[in-house]
Parts: sequence; structure tokens; C-alpha cells
Amino acid sequence: MRKERKHIIIPFLLPAGLLYLIFFVYPALQALVVSLYDWSGFTPTWTFIGLDNFRELLRDRVYWGTLGFTMMILVVGGMLVFGIAFVFTAILSSGIRGKKFFRAVLFFPNVVATVALATLWAFIYNYNFGLLNGFFKMIGLKQLGSITWTGPGLITWAVLVAMVWIYVGFYVVLLLAGVDKISPELFDAAKVEGANQLQIFVRITIPLLWDVLTVAVVLWGIGAIKQFEFMYAFAGIRPPRDIWTTAVYMYVLAFGKRDAVFRMGYGTAVAVTLLILVIIFVLIARRLMRREAIEY
Amino acid sequence: MGQIQVMLPTRRAVSGQTTWDRLRRVLPRVPATSFLLFWTGFTIFAFVWIVVSSFKDNRELFASAWALPSALHFENYEKAWRLARMGNYFLNSVVVVSISTAVIVGVSAPAAYVLSRIPFRGRELITNGIIAGMGVPYQVLLVPLFVLLTNLYLVDTLPGLMVVYIALSLPFTIFLLTGFFRSLPSELEDAAAIDGANEYQVFYRVMLPLASPGIITAAIFNFIGLWNEYMLALVMINDQNKRTLSLALYGLQGSMQYTSDWVGLFAGVVIVMVPTFILFIVMSERVIAGITLGATKG
Repeated sequence: MRKERKHIIIPFLLPAGLLYLIFFVYPALQALVVSLYDWSGFTPTWTFIGLDNFRELLRDRVYWGTLGFTMMILVVGGMLVFGIAFVFTAILSSGIRGKKFFRAVLFFPNVVATVALATLWAFIYNYNFGLLNGFFKMIGLKQLGSITWTGPGLITWAVLVAMVWIYVGFYVVLLLAGVDKISPELFDAAKVEGANQLQIFVRITIPLLWDVLTVAVVLWGIGAIKQFEFMYAFAGIRPPRDIWTTAVYMYVLAFGKRDAVFRMGYGTAVAVTLLILVIIFVLIARRLMRREAIEY
Repeated sequence: MGQIQVMLPTRRAVSGQTTWDRLRRVLPRVPATSFLLFWTGFTIFAFVWIVVSSFKDNRELFASAWALPSALHFENYEKAWRLARMGNYFLNSVVVVSISTAVIVGVSAPAAYVLSRIPFRGRELITNGIIAGMGVPYQVLLVPLFVLLTNLYLVDTLPGLMVVYIALSLPFTIFLLTGFFRSLPSELEDAAAIDGANEYQVFYRVMLPLASPGIITAAIFNFIGLWNEYMLALVMINDQNKRTLSLALYGLQGSMQYTSDWVGLFAGVVIVMVPTFILFIVMSERVIAGITLGATKG
């Protein structure tokens, strides 16, 4: 039955498949080649230099600095995002009124252009008329009200706070979706047995949420490692190096017009290390989070 | 009386609850709930305030960020729309993002249908090969794509940008839609085939309408994502006339260093935000359902 079913495979796959092969797979493979060359982007000469770009990376202090900030977003940001998302998920799944409203507000930053969010936070942190300093001055805390939030030392944390604020809502939506799929009978039974909210959350919700949580962690890793748009737009046309992620550094190396480095090969080598980082992260996350499926 | 006694062992029958019991249940939640209220309150306030501030003039803003505008300075919008040419860029974005979204969904839906419902050799490999694209940081693709587009004479053109948008959105869209198609029942599909519909008809007349919630979700996701995107546009577009709206806002931010026109920038922010805000208000359930499905099927 339905033998001609096989006939539609190729026509249905072809348009997407060709676009994907030509404009995604081919460039991705070519990136590996480009990363082995020294190329300015203007001259026709590509000089093959083997792994020299990667050797240079090892000694490039700017690179390691940006990688440090990327890791800070990945790890510290990740812990904050998931910690807070868990708290909010717990409250929102406890039968609170206005659940949908809270969920929508938490999620909202995720539908706003990152460059608009960068402007919003620049406004919040602004030294002279920013909302934060303005707030502290208004309640009489003069000292707190005259802090340069985007000064050296603080700016990385300022960006991190904004990151957490943006992404918490996304992961709340994800985790809540997982919670909603858990059978309510389990919660009722636990309540009858006299379990408190915390026990229920730790013993029932989290174990049954594990698959969703694994997906969430992987998504976070993929997203965090390539952070670019917020940092690059946060402090005007030339963000300070403190908030350069490796993705920003890659852009500056290859395309940045202010510094005009135009090191396409070296920049792509930097990007390739980001890909390697994603692969390592996904492997570790899946390994750490692997366990037998739990069904009660 | 007898009935009540039977119910009592649950200890949570409402009639048996003292104020103390209730307090003990609610009190531990107070810090967390306050935190949630603070968080959402801050979020709403921040967005409201950037809208309010976009109606001030710069002198008022610099004097106090907290005061309300003395008069509604619509000229900020006038300036952003005409002088900063955000009107033109708005149109560019509408064209680029609409066409890209239509093509993305148009090519992804049939592919996802085949990959999720027709067994054939190599299916797993192809599906995983496409979905793996979700993990590739775009930075890896930037230089090769720039070179490729240059060779095809598509660099610095809107069609070129669209091609990039389409190709890079395929992994996520196909991932989302395979989940959707997989969740559909096969009875209708089989019934249509038995009734003599050919395979194209089965797809276009039966399965596609059934999957329309998923298709709409995929379209909204792509529209919002591409509307907000500026990095790829920054790399691929050089000509001032061909900027997208988000890229224009980035440009406006950059020129702020010289103009200090914050209220004009805020007006730009609002112009960029309005379309996705409306889409989200109208379609928030679909947006949220999309994340739900993508994650819980994966």
C-alpha cells in the first residue's frame, strides 16, 4: 500500500536540502579550510599556513580574555539563569493566579530586538540620568547612586545581569511546559502523603523534568557560546574589551571596520574554536545528564 | 458528621485548616513570590519607561529620567522615521523578513513531513545532519558565506541577505516541524490514501492543514527572530539604502556618541519593538506552544 509514497521523498527534500547544502554545509566545511590560511579578504593571495592560526591563538591574550568572558556567561550566567528559572517555575506551577501573565512578561525580552535591549540597558546603567542611579538617588542612597555601572570591573557583571534578565523567561517557559506534562495525580498523591512543596519539587518535578532540562541545558550552551549582538551594541560603536565575547573578537578580526584588521583566516580559526567549544559542551552535558528514564 | 470524619485523614480538607496551617504553607513562598513580582514589575516598568522617555526632549531626559514628559514630543519619531530613514529601513525589513519567512516555511514543511513520516534509508542521517546545524555558531559561517555571496554577486544585496537568512534558519525550523508532523495521527493520512488521493494531495490537502498550528508557530518564530537580527545584516550589507531596521538601530546607536540624541534613539527602539510586540500580544500562546513543542519532543 502507498508505494508511490517514496516518490515524493526527493522532490520534497530537494529545495531545503539544496539550500542547506550550498549555503550552510559548504560554508561550514570551507571554514575549516579557511582557518588554515592567511588571508586579508582583499588580496587574491591565500597563503596556506597549516595550523599556524591555531598556534597563534594559544599565545593571543586577547583571545583568552574573550574566551574567559564567554565562559563566564556560559557557566556563571547559566547557573543564575537556571537557578532563577527553577524558582519561578516552582512558583508558577504551584497554582498561582495570573500564571500566563507572569509567563508572558518574563518571556517578553526574548521577542525584542537584542540591539533594542542593549539600548534599554545602556539607559538603565547610564551614569548621569540612568534609571538605576536615578532610583538610588531618589531613595536617598547617594553613594550607590553615583556608581559607574559600566566602568571597568563592573561592566562584565552589568552585561551578565542583562543576559540573565533576557534569558530567564525563555527557560521558565521551557521548564513550565515540562511541568505541565507531568500527571497532576502524582502531585496530589504526594500531597496526600504529606510532602511539602520543596520535597515535591525536588523528588517529583525535577526527576520527571530531566529530559526537558537536558534539552534546555544544551540550548543554553549553544546560545551562550555564540553571544554577540548584545555586547557588540551595548556601549556604542566600540565596546570595551572587557565585554568582548569570543564571537565579538571573531567579528572584529574579520570584519570590524573600526580596527580594520581584516584577518579572515585568523578570525575563522577563532570561530572554529567556538564550534569545538559547542561540541565539547554538548558532549559533556549529555554525558553528565544521561540516566535511566524515570517513570512513576 | 460521619462523612466529614471520612474525609479528615487527608489533613488538608479545607474545613480543618487553621490560620496557622495556612500561614505555614504560604510563608515559605513569600520571598520567592516577592522576587517574581519584583522581576516582572521591573520588566514592565523598564519597557514602559523607554516608551515614556521617547516622548521627552533631551533636556528633560538629562534633567531627570524619572519626570514625565512636559509635552509629547512626537518630533522624535518624525526625526527617526525621516531623518534617520527608519521608514525606509522598516520597509526593507518587512520585505526581507516576510519573503524569507515564507520561503523558510515553504521549503521546510515538505522536508519535515518526509523526514518525520516516510521511512527510508538514510533518513536518520539526513535529519540529524540538518538538526546538527542548530549547534553551529554563525561566526564559523561568516567568512565563507561572505566569499560565496561575493562570488555569486549577491553580497550587499537584499536577496543575498534573504538567502543567508533562509539557509541559516532551516535547522531550527525543520527541527520544530518534524516534531509537529510526528505528533499527528496517521489515520487521516491513510484514509485519504485509500480514498485515492495521490501523495501530493495527501500532503497538501490533509497533512498540511492538520499541521497548520505548527506552521504558524514556525512562521512567527522566524519572523520575530529575523526581524530582530542584526549581525548577519551587518556583515552582508554595506549600502546604507539596504539596511534592515535592526541594523539601522545599531547604526543609530553608534552615531549616538556624536549626537547624544538619546530620545531619538528611544524612538528608534520603539519603532523596532512595535511589530514584534503586537505579534507577541496577539500570538503569545502560539509562540509559547512552539517552544514547548520543540523542547518536549526533542
